[in-house]
Amino acid sequence: MLNIQNLQASIEDQPILKGLNLTINPGEVHAIMGPNGSGKSTLASVLAGREEYEVTDGEVTFHGKDLLDLDPDERAGEGLFLAFQYPVEIPGVSMTNFLRTSVNSIREYREEEPLNGAAFLKMMREKQQIVELDKNLTKRSVNEGFSGGEKKRNEVFQMAMLEPKLAILDETDSGLDIDALRIVAEAVNKLRSPDRSFLVITHYQRLLEYIVPDFVHVLYKGRIVKSGGKELALELEEKGYDWIKAESPAV
Amino acid sequence: MSIQTIDSQAAAFFSRFQPVKVNGKSLARSTREEAAAALEEMTIPTRKWEDWKYTNLAPLVKRNLNLAGKGEVSKEEVQARLIPELDSDYLVFVNGYFAPELSDFAVTNYHVNTLHDLEGMERELFEAYFGQIVPFDQDVFTAMNTAYGREGLFVYVPKAKMIEKPLQVLHITTGSDKDLGIQHRNMFLIGEGASLKIIESYHTLGGATSFRNDVTEIKVEDRAQFEHIRLQIAGNEASQVNNLEIHQGRDSIAKTFVFTMSGDLIRNNLIFKLKDEHTESHLMGAYLLDGTQKLDNFTQVNHMKPHCFSNELYKGIMDDEASGAFTGRINVFPDAQKTNAYQSNRNILLSDDAQINTKPQLEIYADDVKCSHGATTGRLDEEALFYLMARGINKTAARKLLVHAFVLEVSENISLEPVRQYIDQLVSTRY
Repeated sequence: MLNIQNLQASIEDQPILKGLNLTINPGEVHAIMGPNGSGKSTLASVLAGREEYEVTDGEVTFHGKDLLDLDPDERAGEGLFLAFQYPVEIPGVSMTNFLRTSVNSIREYREEEPLNGAAFLKMMREKQQIVELDKNLTKRSVNEGFSGGEKKRNEVFQMAMLEPKLAILDETDSGLDIDALRIVAEAVNKLRSPDRSFLVITHYQRLLEYIVPDFVHVLYKGRIVKSGGKELALELEEKGYDWIKAESPAV
Repeated sequence: MSIQTIDSQAAAFFSRFQPVKVNGKSLARSTREEAAAALEEMTIPTRKWEDWKYTNLAPLVKRNLNLAGKGEVSKEEVQARLIPELDSDYLVFVNGYFAPELSDFAVTNYHVNTLHDLEGMERELFEAYFGQIVPFDQDVFTAMNTAYGREGLFVYVPKAKMIEKPLQVLHITTGSDKDLGIQHRNMFLIGEGASLKIIESYHTLGGATSFRNDVTEIKVEDRAQFEHIRLQIAGNEASQVNNLEIHQGRDSIAKTFVFTMSGDLIRNNLIFKLKDEHTESHLMGAYLLDGTQKLDNFTQVNHMKPHCFSNELYKGIMDDEASGAFTGRINVFPDAQKTNAYQSNRNILLSDDAQINTKPQLEIYADDVKCSHGATTGRLDEEALFYLMARGINKTAARKLLVHAFVLEVSENISLEPVRQYIDQLVSTRY
C-alpha cells in the first residue's frame, strides 16, 4: 500500500529525514516512536504534502502512484488521511459545511456522486457516535474554541467520515487525559479493517496499549534504527531512548 | 480645522451643486443658510490633514460634475436589485430623485417621507434635528450637503413602535453622462423603546461616472434599537463620501454594518455618540477591494457616559492595487467610567501591490474602563489552507472557503438572515 524508499527531506535547508525506508501493507498498524526531534512529525508532514518540507531524495508510492507528485488534496482523494498533531482553528467555516465540502470533494476525486444533504447528515450522525463527539460541536466553526481533547476527537471523527485507506495519527495522544485517550483509541480500533492501514506516531507507549500495533519502529536522527513487534514499545517505555541512541551508529 | 477661505477649485466644485429649493416652503431654510455661510469658510481636505492622510481628493474635485437629471429605471431592474427573500418595504431613488412608481411601502406604524412631502409634525421634527446630529461646520462635505442637498429621506418611528419589516432604500444611478453629482440626506429618528432596521444599497446602471455626497443623521432614543446596513455595491465608476452620525440614548442599541465591494473612491465617516448610560453599539464593516479601488473607513466612537459598551469589527480583503484605510478612534470621556470598548481591524492582502493603512486611536480620560484594540494584516492563513487541502478540498475551493469565512465573521452579526445570505452570494461573485 505505502512504500517509502530512502526518503530524505529537509526544512529550510536543514536535513531532517535522512534515508527512511518503510513498507505498510493493507490492514497493518505501524507505530513510529522516537525521541523529540527525530523526524516523526516531519514524516507525517511530508506524507501529507506540507509545502515547507522539501523532499531531496527517495520515493514514496501509495497504491503504486507517486505520492510526492500529488497535491495534498489529491493525496486525500487517494485515501491518505493525516490526523493533525495541532488541528487548525478555522473561524467562520462551520464543521458541517467543512465536512460536506471535504466528503464531496473526495467523492468527486473518486468520480462518485456527491452525497445529498440527508445522506450526509445521516452519515455524520453515525460517525459522531463512534468518537462520542458532542453533536453541538458540529454546529460550531472548525475546531474553534474546542478543548485539546475535543480537537483530537474531531480529527478521528473526520477520519471516520472520510474512510481513508491509510490514516496517519500524528501524536494524537498528546494533550489527552486518560478518558479521552481511551475514547480516541477505541474509535480508531472500530475503524480498523483488513484494507485500512494506520501509521501511529507517538512519543509514548501508552497509546499503543489501546491501539495494539503490528509493528513498532524507532525513528532516530531521520532514520528507522530499530523495528520490531509490539513488545518493542514496552521495551522503549522501560529503558527510555538512551539505549537506542547508544546503539545507533553516529549519523 | 483651521479656517481658510475656500479656494477657487473647491468653489467651482461646490458650485455644481446649485442651491435648489427643497420644497415650496424652503425647508429648514435658516440652517441651510448657516451651512452655506460655513461652507464659505472651508476648504477641501488635502492629504496633509491628519484625518485625510489616506484619501486623495484632488482628482475628484478636479472633475466637472453635473447635477444629475432624472433617469429611467424599470420595475424589473429594481426587482433584480432587491435583496432576495427579504420581506421589506422599499423606496427607490434614481439619480437622487425619489421614484414613487418604483417604490413600495405601505407603512402604518411609523412615518416615511421624502424631503419634498414633509408637512406638519414631520416637518417640525425634521427642522428641529436637521444639522443638529451631524454638525455642518466641521466637515466640508456635510456643509455642502446641508446647504445644497435637495432630496432625502425622513423616517420617524414613534415611541414603543417595534417595526418588524425592514425598510430597504435603493439608490440607483443611471445614464451614460459623465460625472453626475448627487447629494442625498437621511434623517432617521427612532423614538423611545422603538425599533427599526434599514438597509441602504447603491447601484449603477449605464456606466455613468458619478460622485455622491450623502449625510445621514440618526437619533436612537432611550431603550430604542436600530440597525443600519449599507451595501456599497455600485459600479467601479461610482465614488462617494458618506457621513453618518448616530446619537444614542440610555439603554439603546445601535448597530451599523458597511459592506463595500465595488466603487472607485469611497470615504465613510461614521460617528457614534453614546450620550447616556448603558448603551450598546456595534460597528461592523467588511470590504472586498480589487482593481484600483480606494476605501477609507473613518470611524469614531464617543463614550460620553458610564456603563456603555461598544464593539467595532472591520475586516477586509484587498487584491490587485486596491488601497484601503481604517481609522478607529475611541474617545472615553472623563465621566465615562465602566466603559467597555473593543475594536478590531483585520485585513488580508492577496497581492503585493494592495495596501491597507490601519490606525487605532484611543483617547481615554476615565480610569475605570476596559478598552482593547487590535489590527492585523496578513496573507490567507497557510495553515488553514493546508488543513483544508489535507481533507481533499482543492486549493481554489479552500481559498474560497477561507475568504467567505473571513467575511462571515462580520456579516453573521447582521440580524436579518436574507441579508447575510445576500452578502454571501455577493462574495461568491468575487471569489
